[in-house]
Amino acid sequence: MFKTYTYKSLALIFALVLIASCTKDDGYTDIEAPKISPVTLDLSTVPYETLSEYNFFEGNMADLNPVYGVLPYKIISSLFIDYANAKTFVWMPKDSTAIYVNDYSVLDFPTGSVLVTTHYFENVLPDNTAKMIETRLLIKKESEWIMANYKWNEQQTEATYTTEGSFVNVDLLHDNTEKNVTYKIPNYSECFTCHNKSDVIEPIGTKPQNLNSKLMFNDGLKNQLKKWVEFGYLEDNLPANIVSVVDWQDESQPLDLRVRSYFDINCAHCHSNDGYCNYASMRFEFNKTADISNLGVCVESVFYINPTISHVVKPGVLERSALYFRMNSTEDQYKMPIIGRVQKHDEGLTLIEEWINSLSTDCN
Amino acid sequence: MKRVVLILFAIAIIPIVSFAQTSSDTCANANNATPISGPGVFNISDVNGTAPSTICSGGTSVAQNGEWYRYIPSANYFVTVSSNLSQNSGKDTRVQIYSGSCGSLQCVAGNDDVGGSNFLSSTTFSAQAGETYYIAWDNYWNPSSPFGFDFELSETIIPPTVSFTTATISAPGIDRGAVDMNGDSLDDIVSITSSIITVNYQQTNGTFNKVSHSLTGGIYTAGWSMAAGDFDRNGYNDLVYGNSDGAHVVKAKAGGNGYEIAATSHSIFTQRTNFVDFDNDGNLDVFLCDDTAPNEYFINNGSTLTLWEGDDPGAPIAGGLGVYSSGGNYGSVWVDYDSDGDADLFIAKCGGLEERRKNQLFRNNGNLSFTEVSIAANMNDPLSTWSSAWGDYDSDGDMDCFVGSSLTLEPHKLMQNNNGVFADVTASSGLDVFTDKGHENQPFDFNNDGYIDIYSNGNILINDGDGTFTILSSGIPQEGAVGDLNNDGFLDVFNGLIYYNDGNSNNWLKVCLTGTNSNINGIGARIEVSSPSFNNSSSKKAQIRDVRSAEGFAYMSSLNSHFGLGTDTSINTVTVYWPSGTVDVVVNPSINDTLCITEGETLSLESTLENDLILYPNPTKGLLNLNANYGFENAIFSVFDITGKRVLNDRFNSNTIDVSELSSGNYILRVINNGVIKTQKFIKQ
Repeated sequence: MFKTYTYKSLALIFALVLIASCTKDDGYTDIEAPKISPVTLDLSTVPYETLSEYNFFEGNMADLNPVYGVLPYKIISSLFIDYANAKTFVWMPKDSTAIYVNDYSVLDFPTGSVLVTTHYFENVLPDNTAKMIETRLLIKKESEWIMANYKWNEQQTEATYTTEGSFVNVDLLHDNTEKNVTYKIPNYSECFTCHNKSDVIEPIGTKPQNLNSKLMFNDGLKNQLKKWVEFGYLEDNLPANIVSVVDWQDESQPLDLRVRSYFDINCAHCHSNDGYCNYASMRFEFNKTADISNLGVCVESVFYINPTISHVVKPGVLERSALYFRMNSTEDQYKMPIIGRVQKHDEGLTLIEEWINSLSTDCN
Repeated sequence: MKRVVLILFAIAIIPIVSFAQTSSDTCANANNATPISGPGVFNISDVNGTAPSTICSGGTSVAQNGEWYRYIPSANYFVTVSSNLSQNSGKDTRVQIYSGSCGSLQCVAGNDDVGGSNFLSSTTFSAQAGETYYIAWDNYWNPSSPFGFDFELSETIIPPTVSFTTATISAPGIDRGAVDMNGDSLDDIVSITSSIITVNYQQTNGTFNKVSHSLTGGIYTAGWSMAAGDFDRNGYNDLVYGNSDGAHVVKAKAGGNGYEIAATSHSIFTQRTNFVDFDNDGNLDVFLCDDTAPNEYFINNGSTLTLWEGDDPGAPIAGGLGVYSSGGNYGSVWVDYDSDGDADLFIAKCGGLEERRKNQLFRNNGNLSFTEVSIAANMNDPLSTWSSAWGDYDSDGDMDCFVGSSLTLEPHKLMQNNNGVFADVTASSGLDVFTDKGHENQPFDFNNDGYIDIYSNGNILINDGDGTFTILSSGIPQEGAVGDLNNDGFLDVFNGLIYYNDGNSNNWLKVCLTGTNSNINGIGARIEVSSPSFNNSSSKKAQIRDVRSAEGFAYMSSLNSHFGLGTDTSINTVTVYWPSGTVDVVVNPSINDTLCITEGETLSLESTLENDLILYPNPTKGLLNLNANYGFENAIFSVFDITGKRVLNDRFNSNTIDVSELSSGNYILRVINNGVIKTQKFIKQ
């Protein structure tokens, strides 16, 4: 039923070694031999028990040095993950390519694709070291994605498959101040809740709008989508112009674009037509938020919080805005996002505060 | 009569006049100024005095400035203070009403916003002749000067259908419970943090004794819900509560001296929690709704709690109780919808695909067997709902259901129970025009008129007793735990503040239960109160309640069953159908009192061993037929073994009972029909 890429790879290695030998013997200009990705992925037996079995990284695994074929990518506007950092990679089987659908939809990935996201902390005290916490895989089987989460051991040598949730306590330096963070590794249901599109698992970040930016690769600074095309990971039919999010941290960008970009990556997976919270009226996808009523501006708050909250966003009035209250809360029954954060995101709050205060729409 | 005429006259002429009485900058100055003594419109030119620091309008935030008035009513009135006037359109005010003295102000009422996008304020309170009240407006929402507006004070002797007087209470943490915790039948106040359970114990004099119980090892809060019940039968109620990371079952220690964690689920995104003895072994089990996965439950075998999720391999409930893979379970309520003597389960569902959010109704077949019957019952609506309120809204002797929508664009639904099949009667009830949405819907009779009302998101939907409802929105707390917090027979609300029901002249009865063979709280019992206006010989049937832990979405309301009696001055009977099968009947109890019944203490129903009730074949291997002389249509039958344990329970739909599941032995068949018990023995081979 499932293809076994290891065998296919072995056959290819053999063929390529032959080709490489020929070119050399003929004395032509030395062409670098096409490389073979050492990643091992057997769709009939994934998820593996340990992360190392996939062979995504070389050297000390915790350094996250990708092997050939594992491309780094970085979404333009990052998700808040309790002050952890994320490193993301993509891998696809030989000779398969993803297909562009539109600017705002996840690329149509080929069977066998893997998205590899590692959450880790930098500047972990006492020694200001990095600490790997979890590596999340999305693996595309024949027609559906599966999710597999790996929790790193204390020795930072291996990560082991888990469907259970757990808490990790970390003391770190953030902006030169000590911060104690309780980080939650999500359980399977929580993973599914955010990746759930009408009961089908979907990636969140890998949309053209989030990848249309430059990133430093081994061979220099390149637009990520173009690099994917060049590497053979993406069909070469991209439109000339891709409507893209901006980095919400980039203060040179217009405030409304930064805010819309922030909401897209943090909120849109649930607050969309096919999402877990499709019954609330907000629609946070970047391509829908040019209409600010989709962000809740002047929309009366349906769910009771306290006597002062009146709207999802009441222009100019933080205290009457449920959206601000929820972002500012760590109480379970109020906080938003509801899953995926334990801490308050101070920088995100500052951004949203500035935005709500900048609004002057008269709700009446 | 004379007084009414005078007042109407006064109201007719006075509101046109804007009174010269000026506001004062402090409470003390108001004491020296001329008090308001009657209705009128008053102008505040600028709010620039001292802000009131005791907030009765909800929350704790204090404004920069305030303006004060003193008001001394000439007679007992229901007084409305309101800035909700056309000349104030677009402004944003806040008002507090106090009694007491300037050095010791007591909250009486308060309001921030009328609601929706109207930020003006209006509040109604019950005022006593000659008492001094202080009215304090503040500029919390308009700190820039000048901020001026008009307000109107009006007086009436016609009571609002339901009104509340607020009072402050110290209850740190998440406010969840108005329920008796120490077995004295007085509802206490419960609030939760992850490490402290605070109980304000109601005293007989109406005050509260606050005790903070520290909890060792608590990591989950009551963020999403809490329920109470005494699962270990030590006389002190235990709790189950949880948040999106997990849930604790917390046990009261002996003598109620503190709490300890009895069991924990680390794998649940908790929503509504319940205590219920769903396997009917006399031990309360625990049910937990899961937002993102199949529901979980703890089975209590009398000594341990065992956790199961969905249809785990080996789980005792085949097929589970709500196993949609991504959950969508919000509000579970254990209700005897088919009136057959055991608790069935309705789950209000929300979010995602239509299949995920279709509500579910599980019929309890006994012996841990459940059948999902929502389609046949016409209750598998996909509307987005977090809770439902079940009560006998049409006074015909069975449980109807108000399914509360949580979505702006979807209407609520009132479903009428017709022999276990439900009909949508929203339009004829008048509730089609009710559009406030939210999480919380609970069934309670707030005006004690004998018709159970619906408490829904800042409104009380007053049951008019004729199939229609009147929407009461003014002065109603938004949501909270419901109980009798001053033991006056009228239901109060706790959430941050206590909202005391001002009451009326209607009569009432509260029933508290102590189970012996059944679970000690009597959860799952059906209580029937027959009185001159509500009895099974009249068009308004005897009032019914199921004892439930819990109602609505988040809160734990009283486990006492509360009945309004309207103007009835006597009660014929109170009948308790215990989950064990025991029936207790109390004849002619006192009204306006709390009636505590211990299981089996009364004579029960008239009981006869019927010689002419012929069962055949007897002995039987499988089917038991009843002679056709008896018209037992819809009657409830129970089968007891020789130890008195109820082993089978259902309603007749023919004259045949299937006893093939029973082990061999001697049994007694009991039929309750028209208030009379008929029994006969039989032998299973």
